[in-house]
Amino acid sequence: MLPFIDEILRYDSLSIVGLEKNTGKTECLKYVLDRLPVQQKRIAVTSIGIDGETVDQVTRTQKPEIVLREGMYFGTSEAHYRQRRLVSELIDVSDESTSLGRVVTAKAVTGGKILLSGPSSASGLKRWMGEMHRKDIDLVIIDGALSRLSSASPAVSQSMILATGAAYSANIPTLVSKTAHVVDLVNLELTSEDKIKMLLPLEKGVWFIDKQGNLNSLDSVTSLSKDIHFEGMENCETLYVAGALVDAFLEKVRKNKNLKQVELVVRDFTKFFVTPQQFRLFLKAGGRMRVLQKSKLIAVTVNPTSPSGYVLDSDTLCGKLSEAIGLPVYDLLKNKD
Amino acid sequence: MQLKNVIESPCGLRYMLDRLDLQSGFARRWLLDSPMMTREEDIRASYDVLHRFRDFIDREDKTYIDTLQFRLQGLKDIRTTIKNLSQKSTLDDIELFEVKHLAILATDVARLLQEHGMDNVVVIPALDKVISILDPDGMKIATFYIYDSYCAQLKDLRAAMRQHPEQQDDLLLQANELEEGVRRDLSLELHPFATAIEQAQIALAQIDVCLAKAIQMRQMGLTFPAFARDGISRYGAMFHPLVKESLVEHGREFQPVDIAFGQQPTLITGANMGGKTVVLKTLTLCQLLFQFGFGIPAATAEIAVRDEIYFCIGDEQSVEKGLSSFAAEMKNIDAVIQASRKNKKILALIDEPARTTNPTEGAALVSALLRVLASKDMSLVMTTHYDIESGDARCLRVKGFENGSMDYQLVEVQDGEVPHEALNIAQSLGIDREWIDMAREQLEASISRENDKH
Repeated sequence: MLPFIDEILRYDSLSIVGLEKNTGKTECLKYVLDRLPVQQKRIAVTSIGIDGETVDQVTRTQKPEIVLREGMYFGTSEAHYRQRRLVSELIDVSDESTSLGRVVTAKAVTGGKILLSGPSSASGLKRWMGEMHRKDIDLVIIDGALSRLSSASPAVSQSMILATGAAYSANIPTLVSKTAHVVDLVNLELTSEDKIKMLLPLEKGVWFIDKQGNLNSLDSVTSLSKDIHFEGMENCETLYVAGALVDAFLEKVRKNKNLKQVELVVRDFTKFFVTPQQFRLFLKAGGRMRVLQKSKLIAVTVNPTSPSGYVLDSDTLCGKLSEAIGLPVYDLLKNKD
Repeated sequence: MQLKNVIESPCGLRYMLDRLDLQSGFARRWLLDSPMMTREEDIRASYDVLHRFRDFIDREDKTYIDTLQFRLQGLKDIRTTIKNLSQKSTLDDIELFEVKHLAILATDVARLLQEHGMDNVVVIPALDKVISILDPDGMKIATFYIYDSYCAQLKDLRAAMRQHPEQQDDLLLQANELEEGVRRDLSLELHPFATAIEQAQIALAQIDVCLAKAIQMRQMGLTFPAFARDGISRYGAMFHPLVKESLVEHGREFQPVDIAFGQQPTLITGANMGGKTVVLKTLTLCQLLFQFGFGIPAATAEIAVRDEIYFCIGDEQSVEKGLSSFAAEMKNIDAVIQASRKNKKILALIDEPARTTNPTEGAALVSALLRVLASKDMSLVMTTHYDIESGDARCLRVKGFENGSMDYQLVEVQDGEVPHEALNIAQSLGIDREWIDMAREQLEASISRENDKH
């Protein structure tokens, strides 16, 4: 058993996300499902969005069905439930409708194949997961939407596995640096507990905390204004961006002399829309970056083959990437043999 | 006419519906599809049931009501499935699951109600047979698949699948055929219960709706209406829940109104801001609530049943459709006149007709309208600012502006003479002095010119 299977069991939820189509996300899910101790743990699987086509609609490459083992729970759409190739017991039919019908929840009575297509929104997914935990499920696994990191948001799942590969970039240094950037964001440290308590309920706007610990709203800062200027700027200790963090804003903060030492807090890594360059420049200039919620990144997996047929050298790729992110990196297809 | 056709009525019906604590989408749809009752016995029967629920929620512990409401959240719309069943189609697993789920839910709710002396208030058909068909192992849980016990051969095939996963695809194919046979048999066995299942679904929706209406009555302080015997509707301390809520939010109080109207046309005059429109809105709301079996926003209410209800108010929607406000209004009122010629009991509530045209023609139109409608056998309440001959109409007047505050009470007056308080009210609103003073001078000048003539 590869070490990360043990680690997965420490959390009640896991998202598997791919940085691009064909980075081996589904392979990774298969790999995990094959190895989980189904006798000891109650496990439920679903996917976010329409992600269960037998043939990938965009790239026309074959997409495997998921093989479930006896006793596993799963959530999928009515349409895909009717096409199931296993015996399963229906537990629930929700009111949640997707383009493939309502979301149904069932338990595999025998092992077999199923196409996964669960709730189509993050809030629907959260409701479904809550329902599963109420049914005493130990671990919910989410087959995340392709190239949509939001399905791995810490607001939804506690832990994640990131799948990357030649489909994301066919050049090893680029692939390594682009993947490392995402890993850096996922691994950003949490801010202090009192700040989390204070800022978590704020879902909109830009806020700052002064050196005395007072919270202030920063309504006047818009992305249009040329630079940031606000009252109490000299006294600003923490800046909190509740929505998306973009390059332009980050640059303005960096260039503001008063905000050199500021701690910039963002909700979680899914809210970052910044380039690696701006991100690094900000840190270099002395700024600190923190988040309110954090997922545990359990592993990074790679698929060295791109859909166009180009193949990177697996060992070189795993080695370089592992060195850059300080985490073990797995090529699951290769390790299978 | 169904509730959904009048839900957007400017009288504020949507507000009442939005504040119903319904547990299931199906109950909401069922309620919106329900027809307006026009027979006294139907309305009476519906209030009899609501009465039982009103007593029930007062008498029972809140946790018990919560449990019942929580269970009702499980009510799903399975009309398509029921239709398939009644047409002898073979149901698939999801549909069979839905039937089983509903049958168990109906049985649970029936038991919960029975335990608290509410059996047979709303009749839920017994579905024990349906449950036993879909629960061959007697597990009593609302999950479903084609169980092994339905078919010995199927059981063997599944055992083989577990032992020889490599042959799964072949075995599944054979199993699927057997399963389909079981589904066909189950569907035929369930077919005779299609009507009972449908009735159970509706009964659960009705229970959800009645509970919500009863809770709303308590929350908003609504009352049960009596039936008017003499064709005269009488309200004591009537209020409009939406207006009341927004006043309370602004730290103000709603002044309830007493009003009776019926055989004779009723003309309401009164100062601007005197609440005339609110009175009409509330009367319309009460009438609709009555004929859809809701609690009535008043301390006391005696209401006459009507076949049709017309509420004519400056309708902004028609303006959006490109009709001028005058044209839209004329067409609405025309519909009332046409309806009054048929042999139906109608109630028309008309707010300031012809207000958007010049006062000379406007007054003529209103006074003629009053005479036309007074000659018909109908119930009419109309508000106006125009000085018109009131004829046989009963005239009510908003007490109006006294000692710096508005008294919204209605008082009966002998004729329809309209009060001249617009300038005083404008002044109290702090409107520009130059404007108001000039208007006052002009008014006095024209009055003295009138006097000189005579």
